[in-house]
Amino acid sequence: MVACQGRVFANRIRVLSLRATNERLVGAKDLGWETMKSRTLFVAYSAIVLVTCCGGAHAQQATPQQQVIGAPPEASNMKLVGSNDLQARSAYQPTIHHQGDRWIAYIGHHGGTDAVPDPVNPMTGKAEPNGTSIVDVTDPAHPKYLHHIPGQEGKYESGGAQMVRVCDGKSLPKGDAAAVYMLRAVGSQGHEIWNVADPANPVLVTRIGEGLKDTHKNFWECDTGIAYLVSGAPDWRTRRMAQVYDLSDPAHPVKIRDFGLVGQEPGSTGAVPTEMHGMISTGPQGNRIYFGYGTDKGGIMQIVDRDKLLNGPKEPTPDNLRFPEISRMPMSAFNGAHTTFPMKDMPIAEFAKDKDGKTRDIVMIVDEAILNECGEPRQMVWFADVTTETRPMMISSFTVPEAGGQFCERGGRFGSHSSNESMAPVYYKKMAFIAFFNAGVRALDIRDPYHPKEVGYFIPSITAATDKRCVPADGQDRCKVAIQTNNVETDERGYIYIVDRANTGLHILELTGAARRAAGLP
Amino acid sequence: MRGLLIASLLAVGTLSGVAAALVAHSGGRMPRVGNWHEIAWPFPRDGWPAGRAFRCDAAACGEAVELYVRPKIGFCNCDSGVADDDEVDRVADLDLISPRFAPVEAGKVVHVAEMAGRARSYDLKMTDGSTHAAVGFALSRRCDLLVAVAQGKGDAAGVQRVAAEFLGSDSMGRWMTVALNGG
Repeated sequence: MVACQGRVFANRIRVLSLRATNERLVGAKDLGWETMKSRTLFVAYSAIVLVTCCGGAHAQQATPQQQVIGAPPEASNMKLVGSNDLQARSAYQPTIHHQGDRWIAYIGHHGGTDAVPDPVNPMTGKAEPNGTSIVDVTDPAHPKYLHHIPGQEGKYESGGAQMVRVCDGKSLPKGDAAAVYMLRAVGSQGHEIWNVADPANPVLVTRIGEGLKDTHKNFWECDTGIAYLVSGAPDWRTRRMAQVYDLSDPAHPVKIRDFGLVGQEPGSTGAVPTEMHGMISTGPQGNRIYFGYGTDKGGIMQIVDRDKLLNGPKEPTPDNLRFPEISRMPMSAFNGAHTTFPMKDMPIAEFAKDKDGKTRDIVMIVDEAILNECGEPRQMVWFADVTTETRPMMISSFTVPEAGGQFCERGGRFGSHSSNESMAPVYYKKMAFIAFFNAGVRALDIRDPYHPKEVGYFIPSITAATDKRCVPADGQDRCKVAIQTNNVETDERGYIYIVDRANTGLHILELTGAARRAAGLP
Repeated sequence: MRGLLIASLLAVGTLSGVAAALVAHSGGRMPRVGNWHEIAWPFPRDGWPAGRAFRCDAAACGEAVELYVRPKIGFCNCDSGVADDDEVDRVADLDLISPRFAPVEAGKVVHVAEMAGRARSYDLKMTDGSTHAAVGFALSRRCDLLVAVAQGKGDAAGVQRVAAEFLGSDSMGRWMTVALNGG
């Protein structure tokens, strides 16, 4: 017990040291009162430890880079507003919806863990497979858990209901104006649409697809109802491709077509291209869909003509699959494309006096790290200039400096996973937020996408609910516990919502200091 | 301080021993295993680290057969393992040899070195226009894959038989275990 106490003290020192180290990366001018307070605390805490702790032997046992329960979050220019434990369920996509005078967070979940396959829902007293959490975040300081909709049985990636999108019935061409529709992906069970007008009492509207190999990161155009559902149609050669549906009347889904890369379609032979991860559409006005393929390897960003996709020939022949494609940009074999976030017509200050090319169309591409403790090439963030659509080019990148937090040794995954996808004016084309697993969420100033700059970060504290992450060592599992910030989303008010893959829950954040100023917030 | 020094020396010694064992199993040339001898990995770098390549000459295997094997860490569904033949098509590294391949039959369940998975036979169209027989193996251990592909000018059944025997040898089994453990 004494030894454990020594470890906690040593880690406490390390956590505070890290905070100071990371703040130095931001620059002295950005340091405010909280930093001063932290440093004072650090000095005081160090003095107490030196006086009371039991000597070097215990300090040697510590693994100083690891997080410990009770240590404060690590932060720069971001602060915690509120949190919810999400019933200790592993979290994927959060979608924040302004619903009447309320703000509701819909959060998808992966399946349960080996230790707890079906966590107990304290609201029902029943063990329920992870599905969708519905949380009232109207008061972000006091989020209120409203309801859990169970998902597919199964652990980790094999269960749950990872993806969530929400559209108001009044915005959909044929929707019930009184309804609010939530579209969710339910593992291999297919997709479901729920009416969440009363978010505490969701009602199932319909199911789409069945017997799929997998489902994943969908996109739903709320003004047209067109939905791009990442699915694994049984006859396709890939686990993930797109099934395009007209969900303008959510109660009566109409299939439009299947889509993917040539070589994935039924009956094809030879090499099978990288599976689809997700997409973002710019709708009928932008007439483009940006598809991302791959996870941590062999990524492809594909630019597709939306009108040709929806109205062109639909049989999944090689020619018909090529028809809507404008171009594709293969990435390194070392990186995949989890998120492909378009930002068109970005004014570039450096190019302001150029006679042409003052504005650029940019796509931010986020890879997904999948292996613990840096077991793969670094997964990070890339910016592509797609102004000349047939010749997209990578122009810049961002990664968290590993040495800033010894992230390869903290445990769990280190690297990027996803970005916010809200296009609300508060942050669009100004700030991007990147979920970076054990490095928490990172706030990037992207006003010059040729030179993205980190202006803030937040790494939540771990809790008793935070699950371990293991790697093989000497024939056995060696496990560590660390935050695994998996996804992030923002709302129109400027709050930032991050969720944890290792069961630590939801944290609601806001910008402070220089990051707040960079976003133009008061 | 003295204790610390001794501990450090012991640690270095232990690591050296482990390193030597790993060299013997993976880094250096493997002793001839039956009729197979190791050759250089013949493919350019891709998303996965290079694996190991072996050749069995015609005198021993009827026709010359080459086999390429490597782990793909974290590339498998942790629960369902290798789900179907499509997964063998996707992961078994056939495309390293040629992107033009077609299955000749449905795959079958196989067990190699305490791992379960599937094996499937293919016709490979080579760049010189010739056709080779190939067999792809995809084996899973928890969330990791061990993939192998063997190819030769002989018949598919013969390629599959000699490749399966080689993969099932004790030496390869030990190496596969080390490789999947990150060694």
